[in-house]
Amino acid sequence: MRRWLSLGSALFLLLALFCPSPADAQTREDTLVYALQSDVDTWDPPNSVLREAIILGYHVFDHLATRDLKTRRVIPNLATSWKNLDDTTWEVKLRQGVKFHDGSPFTAKDVKASFERVLDPTKKMTARGNHAKIKSVEVVDDHTVRFKTDGPYPLFVERMTALVIHSEKVLREKPHEWVQENPIGTGPYKLVRWNRKQEHLLVRNDDYWGRKAAFKHVRIRIIPEQATQIAELVSGGVDIIKAVPPDQMDVINKSGQARTATSPILRTAMLQLDQAARGGPNPFTDKRVRQAANLAVDADAIIKHVLNGLGDRTATAVNPMAFGWDQGLKPYKQDLGRAKKLLAEAGYPNGLDITFNTGPPVVEPAIQQTNDAIVADMAKAGFRVKQNYIGDNTVLVARIKEGKGGPMFNWSWGYYSVFDADAILYDVFKCGEAYSYYCNKELDDLIHAGRSTLDQKKRTEIYVKAQKLLFDDAAYLYKWGLRGVWGISNRVEYQAPADEVDRMFLATPRKK
Amino acid sequence: MRRYAVRQLVQLVVVVVGISMLAFGILHVIGDPVLLLLPQNAGKEEYERYTKLLGLDKPVYVQYWKFASRAVQGDFGKSWYTDTPAFKLVLERMPPTLYLTTAGLVCALLIALPLGIVAALKRHSFVDNLCTMAAVAGQAMPIFWLGIMLIIIFAVRLRVLPASGYGTWQHFLMPAFTLGAFLAPITMRLVRSGVIEIMNMDYIRTARAKGFAERTVVSKHAFRNACIPVITVLGLQFGQLLGGAIVTETVFAWPGVATLVVDSIRNQDFPVVQCAVVLLALIIVAVNFVVDMIVGLIDPRIRIAA
Repeated sequence: MRRWLSLGSALFLLLALFCPSPADAQTREDTLVYALQSDVDTWDPPNSVLREAIILGYHVFDHLATRDLKTRRVIPNLATSWKNLDDTTWEVKLRQGVKFHDGSPFTAKDVKASFERVLDPTKKMTARGNHAKIKSVEVVDDHTVRFKTDGPYPLFVERMTALVIHSEKVLREKPHEWVQENPIGTGPYKLVRWNRKQEHLLVRNDDYWGRKAAFKHVRIRIIPEQATQIAELVSGGVDIIKAVPPDQMDVINKSGQARTATSPILRTAMLQLDQAARGGPNPFTDKRVRQAANLAVDADAIIKHVLNGLGDRTATAVNPMAFGWDQGLKPYKQDLGRAKKLLAEAGYPNGLDITFNTGPPVVEPAIQQTNDAIVADMAKAGFRVKQNYIGDNTVLVARIKEGKGGPMFNWSWGYYSVFDADAILYDVFKCGEAYSYYCNKELDDLIHAGRSTLDQKKRTEIYVKAQKLLFDDAAYLYKWGLRGVWGISNRVEYQAPADEVDRMFLATPRKK
Repeated sequence: MRRYAVRQLVQLVVVVVGISMLAFGILHVIGDPVLLLLPQNAGKEEYERYTKLLGLDKPVYVQYWKFASRAVQGDFGKSWYTDTPAFKLVLERMPPTLYLTTAGLVCALLIALPLGIVAALKRHSFVDNLCTMAAVAGQAMPIFWLGIMLIIIFAVRLRVLPASGYGTWQHFLMPAFTLGAFLAPITMRLVRSGVIEIMNMDYIRTARAKGFAERTVVSKHAFRNACIPVITVLGLQFGQLLGGAIVTETVFAWPGVATLVVDSIRNQDFPVVQCAVVLLALIIVAVNFVVDMIVGLIDPRIRIAA
């Protein structure tokens, strides 16, 4: 019997040890390891709303324009220059000598095909709304395209940073499903393989037209547990992690292996309230209840004590870094007496029950801790809030999109990295948009007016009005602009990006 | 022995059919799947189109037959969430979980067998008390906590093992131990009580009377008999082990099927859930079949009784 058992265990062990080991020629020195908490749903960025998809997209694809991380200005990329021919026509000159990963040259027809694909309503691409103002794309010659827009389109230049350019040949020849898993771009890295929910392996594109990446390989590992991510960072298994909880910064900085870096990021956090009644009748359709919620929470204290100061209180959801932000508008201050009074006027003298759908800290640091603090504050005013934790961010997002976000849920918006008030107002506040639970004709008119003129001064005035309206109407429960916290290994030089798009091709080995 | 095996196999088929019915039922217990799939503002026409598309307008037995006949061919439909065949998704993620649970099982045995036997032979001694205390502590320790502690000690402080991930034998050690520590206490106590009981049997006294060395008595006569309940329980515990794998996989970023199942349940991605439930149940049933066979081999009374 003993022989049997030992034979059995030996077999088991063999089986266990015989698992596939990735036989790649990469070494630790020429490989940069980046960790994400959750995986992308697709490798086709315009077909995804996830931040992770935008980040991955930047590595394998190029955009017409990109952002200079120092000045935060839009600079040329695949486009070399652009100009308005008139109020509704933009002419863009394209870079020559650029090649896709499959060897085919990049020309104007790739730009046309990429934009037309996103604009085609039957294709139901997630990013369609971002570019819907573009009416048509014309090829002038191999390296010139003209965009016709539906009325003046002030965001055109910013939006050039938000759409990856696919190869026309690939879009024509390959089925939709293939494109979801096989990105063929012109970017600084190529995808070698994708093991779902495990890792992505990228290899440097040595034919890249621009500055070549310092690291030959990038491994993007999916590590759901934050404690594990930090352990990997301080033990040298991972080089860059993001969304570090503020209370863990010390652990990293004292490890001698890694350090933290923070940057204000173009992302505002809020709790959306179902004013539009997408999930049916609920207390937040009443303005007084929404105002009471805003008055109940002491956001300044939460930023100071829970986030260690890593947040910038905002009066509405418009981020201080975005064009159009109104510096003069002062945020709600906690006033429990007024909050209770408003609730009583709204018909809830004894308080009310609210379900709060909460999410994991994928993009927002310490989200659980701040949620707890907010819920505790709201209880003081009479809101009996029940938290319903949804652990998978993609699920929460999908539910919200379907209108099932609930009367109150965690939300933050990264503007698709477009530094303009329109980039949040349209998607998160306009009537009928997938991620908007607010509906107000007056605001819709302002949003429309703001995107219909190229006159930046006039636009500023419009957005000041819009923010006043959003503040007075307490559309959602406003929180703060986020500051990102990154954990960076001491073997790497890396600049924390304000637009929240991690770019591994900008990381370099640290000189010893 | 053959009759015994055939009987077990027939039982196995009945169980598998039952499980497939349960898996099929999942879709119908949670409410109208069409409503789950459609956006809230979808009209009646859209609703009817989807009902037809999913075949939900047919009688239930027709639907089950369709489900079962497809499932036999490995076709559980496409994932509603990622648009890939559910079978492919589940199959891809199956090996890591099987490796992990197997390694966990081996680990549990390596801990439990020696400790259990020693504790039984030195009953009420210091060693026995120590083992019992370790077992209680082990049982009380959440997998999650143990996993993180191991990471902190072996990956962060000592730097001898990778903190997480999958691929080399080093990656196995901590997850396997974590999972093993979850199963070891109950196994150890079972071994202990089994050996104690058997050491009081007549045939042990006989063996001793025949003049065998104590070592031979324990290893040849006692251990073999003490194994029977242990093996049976291990078979039953295999399901528990898969449950423990969920937490272990999350802590160690292990790309297994257990986390896939949890994600899919959250996503309400029923084709994947159905597929995973059926395949995991098949594995558990198969493991229990093997266990029954082993027990039959060891203990002639069982196969003769059958």
